[in-house]
Amino acid sequence: MTAVAQRPTTRPSAPTAPPTAARQGLDVVSTTATMLALVATWAAVQMLFLGGLSQQREQSALYDQFRGELAAATAPMGPVTPLGDPVALLSIAHIGLEQVVIEGTASSDLLDGPGHLRNTVLPGQVGTAVVMGRAKTYGAPFGQIADLRPTDTIRVVTAQGPKQFSVIGVRRAGDPLPQPRPEGAARLVLVSAEGSGRFADLSPGEVVYVDAQARKGFPTPAGLPTAVPDSEHPMGTEQGALPLLALCLGLLLAMTLAVMAARQRWSAATVWVITTPVVIALAWQTTDVVMRLLPNLL
Amino acid sequence: MRLVRVAAAASLVAGLALAGATTAQGALAPADDAAAYTQTKHLTRSITVDGQEVEVDARDVTVTASRTTDLRGRERIDIAWTGAHPTGGRAASPFGEQGLAQEYPVVILQCRGTDDPALPLEQQLRPETCWTSTRMQRSQSVEESSAVWRSDRHANDYERAQKSGLVPLPPECGDTETFSTRTTAFVAANGTVYPSCTAETMAPEAAVGAAFPPAEMAAFSDLAGAGSVKFEVRSAVENESLGCSDKVACSIVVIPIEGISCIDDNQACSAGGQFEPGASNFANQGVDAAVSPLLWWSASNWRNRFSIPITFGLAPDACDVLDPRAPTGFYGSELLAQAALQWSPAYCLNKKRFKFQHNKMSDEAGFNLMETGGGAAALVSGLHEPKGTDPVAYAPVAVTGFSVGYIIDRPDNAGEFTDLRLNARLLAKLMTQSYLGSERARTHEGMGANPVSINLDPEFQHLNPGLDAIGREAAATVLSLSESSDVITTLTSYIAQDEDAMAFVNGKRDPWGMSVNPSYEKIKLPTAEWPLLDDFVAPSEQECYLQNPSPYFTQVAAPVSSLRKIAEAVLDAWPNVQTKCERSLATDPWKIGRIDRQGVGTRMMLGLVSVGDARRFGLREAELATRRGTFVGPTDGGMAAALRVAEPSKSGDEPFALDMADVIKAENAYPGTMVVYAAARTHGMSKADAEKVSSFVKLATTEGQRFGYGNGDLPEGFLPLKAAGSTGPLFRQAQSVATSIEKQDGTVDDGSDGTDTGDGTETTGETGPPTGPGSVTNVEPPEPEPVPTVDAEGTGKPTKVKPTKTPEPGPVAMPDTEPVSSALAGELLPVLLGIAVLGALATSLLRLGLNRRGLS
Repeated sequence: MTAVAQRPTTRPSAPTAPPTAARQGLDVVSTTATMLALVATWAAVQMLFLGGLSQQREQSALYDQFRGELAAATAPMGPVTPLGDPVALLSIAHIGLEQVVIEGTASSDLLDGPGHLRNTVLPGQVGTAVVMGRAKTYGAPFGQIADLRPTDTIRVVTAQGPKQFSVIGVRRAGDPLPQPRPEGAARLVLVSAEGSGRFADLSPGEVVYVDAQARKGFPTPAGLPTAVPDSEHPMGTEQGALPLLALCLGLLLAMTLAVMAARQRWSAATVWVITTPVVIALAWQTTDVVMRLLPNLL
Repeated sequence: MRLVRVAAAASLVAGLALAGATTAQGALAPADDAAAYTQTKHLTRSITVDGQEVEVDARDVTVTASRTTDLRGRERIDIAWTGAHPTGGRAASPFGEQGLAQEYPVVILQCRGTDDPALPLEQQLRPETCWTSTRMQRSQSVEESSAVWRSDRHANDYERAQKSGLVPLPPECGDTETFSTRTTAFVAANGTVYPSCTAETMAPEAAVGAAFPPAEMAAFSDLAGAGSVKFEVRSAVENESLGCSDKVACSIVVIPIEGISCIDDNQACSAGGQFEPGASNFANQGVDAAVSPLLWWSASNWRNRFSIPITFGLAPDACDVLDPRAPTGFYGSELLAQAALQWSPAYCLNKKRFKFQHNKMSDEAGFNLMETGGGAAALVSGLHEPKGTDPVAYAPVAVTGFSVGYIIDRPDNAGEFTDLRLNARLLAKLMTQSYLGSERARTHEGMGANPVSINLDPEFQHLNPGLDAIGREAAATVLSLSESSDVITTLTSYIAQDEDAMAFVNGKRDPWGMSVNPSYEKIKLPTAEWPLLDDFVAPSEQECYLQNPSPYFTQVAAPVSSLRKIAEAVLDAWPNVQTKCERSLATDPWKIGRIDRQGVGTRMMLGLVSVGDARRFGLREAELATRRGTFVGPTDGGMAAALRVAEPSKSGDEPFALDMADVIKAENAYPGTMVVYAAARTHGMSKADAEKVSSFVKLATTEGQRFGYGNGDLPEGFLPLKAAGSTGPLFRQAQSVATSIEKQDGTVDDGSDGTDTGDGTETTGETGPPTGPGSVTNVEPPEPEPVPTVDAEGTGKPTKVKPTKTPEPGPVAMPDTEPVSSALAGELLPVLLGIAVLGALATSLLRLGLNRRGLS
């Protein structure tokens, strides 16, 4: 970017003051540091803030869709639902959470909101349902579930109706599992991550669970899948996104070259105006792809 | 042996208290006492010479029948006789119209009604209720001189009239006024009268090319006057017009043709036959009507009848009709079909029991259905790999097997071939499609010198001498199953254990120079599903084959989807070879279809059948080679010997290991022996289903193992499971597994299952799948070591996390939550922000420095 920022008029001055080797080295270091800072800042900003915007937008669209499906009685009841379809509306008053739960728990699915683990029953059905959500990035829908206390209420609305769960407790590594589920009961396990140590707020590395239970569940349809790919387990990553990432980076590179070429012909202002949105869109898209390669509960 | 069993069965039937059984069942029980029919009659023939009655022949004929009660559609029973007049002018085929040109045969018919004058007319046996498939067998219209029935001494005046039988004749008969006509109309079960004077006025089941070939026959007696046949009975399912069922009594009528007794000196009536006894009539020459089967309905012949009363069992759909409850499906092995046919009414007609339903499908599919909860239990014959997490236990319910059914005629009208012997290499040759089928396949690469069909193979000829050497497509293959089945597994493991057979399959020529079809060379055996690998399209000049090019060996093999279809194909001698060219009009395109039924006299086809079907249909079954020189058939003894080498599984709830090498080594053990197991989950089933499966296993292994043909009995082809003897271990396993299924006390242990978020699991509906252990356990994916805990029910057995069935009264010791963490997730954001800050700082400092230097 610095190179772009330099006016071409400064170029003729170069031969008048031939750069020394040291100066050239410093220039490279400076440029690299700038690039690093820009990339890291962009990534962090998108994860923490801009991602939240896109997540909100998705949620609003999903909410509309799910509302329509509920009204039309076409909302999914399992056992197999297409990936990314809304399956439930989850609200927890205590932490001010209201999110549409979608099907699938891979990194890319969780960008849009909390995801339902596909080989578990739907929330509210007899059995144990698992819902995972991001802890810090992309709106951090499940960032505060560790604050839940026993007897807190979790409300779930699905195709089969509303259901109130009562929180059993928050569970971390080493805590005993809750007691066996009583016959006919529905159980809900919220899964997210939390940090520890100095940067606790920024380092969601440990999985945390919240168990909740409703005394009587809805009937469960037969035919649940028995397993899901590793990418949909907690802290799973989607290695399949690598080719897409290569493509995005390639596009970014091509964009940079295009900007340099455009600078030869047009004024800086024109180039800025034309290319900035494209570059931002590409950067946004690239970060989304990078997110798929990162743990899904981040 | 059979008599003893039948008697035992009869007494058991009487003792079998079937609450809710229909009255038909009650009526059957007493009939069982006289299961085998035997009767002797004194038959005479007299003619008139110069106004004097002269007795020309007198014989004491004894007729026996093997079975008369609880018959099922298409079942074949043995009928034998002695003392009859030797047959002259034997026809190649005794069936239907083709058996008419014979002298002194024995006519066997199936008729509705019984021979009891006390009954009302519609329940009585009459020629009008006897089934024949052509009008030739019913109606005669000839010149007066040839109308021998009009000289019948035993007929009344009415029957001796010029027009008799159906009078007046309906106009569609087109009767000639001057001829003597006798019409024996057919009266259908619903009362419809079919005049049967032309092909068009026959009952619908007698249509040309009807679904079933003629069953009625005119069989020959040998020079000593003895003979025996297998007679196929038809129920209302196969022949609605005849209408025999569990409600409608029927009879088999055996009429040894003795000749018409004459009242006058009509030369045609007094004729004694043109053929020498024992001679054949291949040319289908005319015979003397007075001693032919043509006039079986005439009074002289009809009075000589032996009527064997028969009763039918419940139709296969009886349970659907009589019991409105929802059935509980058991899915899988077709080997059990004949037993299930007799078992199911014993369940559905008893209100205290559930409605048992056997659904045939491939073993694998049945097992999967059971695992997902779609079926209460699976019926399988081998160990299947569980895909779910619930434990599965196997309860033996029947010992049976497969056999190679065949129908082969000896050359020169010498009757059926009865002792076929096969070895593993011959089966390998048949299965690998290594016989050419026809000369069209001579150009097939790598096997051009092979015999066309099995009867031309020197190895086969050595084992089975005395058969013809006509090449046939049908004899180049054994009709087999197209889908996956434990039967194919057993068959191929029989091939796989044989050194010679495997050497052949792997490419070594047999001692006579025959080589394996290269498409199947080195095929991996055993396998559960036989693939069709050969894509050779036989070259041909024929327009039909040019228009329909298709893989030749696939057309010849043409496997089908059920063992029953194979059994019926063998029964009808109708190979499933799909190479017949046909078109309805000369302008239509050619199409390729199934070849015709084989003509009696030159039949030769093999099929893979279940032993149960083979016994029901009276199919002949090949003996299979075990050790060098020994051949064992699917007898009770052969099966029992095989069970003696079967080893129980270590866990006690898995199938017995029936190692083929051990079976062969045992010498007298039948290699096709298979045990059918009811496989069910021992955890996660609903209580109702668990009780049903458990009660089925208990009933099937006790009450269901009593030999007989009534409801709930075990038919032929199954070795009864008994508490003692070689079936003892199977019986004991069945009992313990039944208890285990009922209690649902299985423990879940599967490798992927580490810890659990603490959820007890439970099936949710009647047949709902387990929603439990597979679900939540996956929340902690890093493969942890199983956490051994003491299971909650205190059996002391260390198990992995065990979802309990019911909430325990006190708190249960639950395992700890497994740690799941990601360093990447933990450190990414701080590092990212660190880089951003450092980068920004570095840039600003450097810029500042550079600018300053640049300024200076």
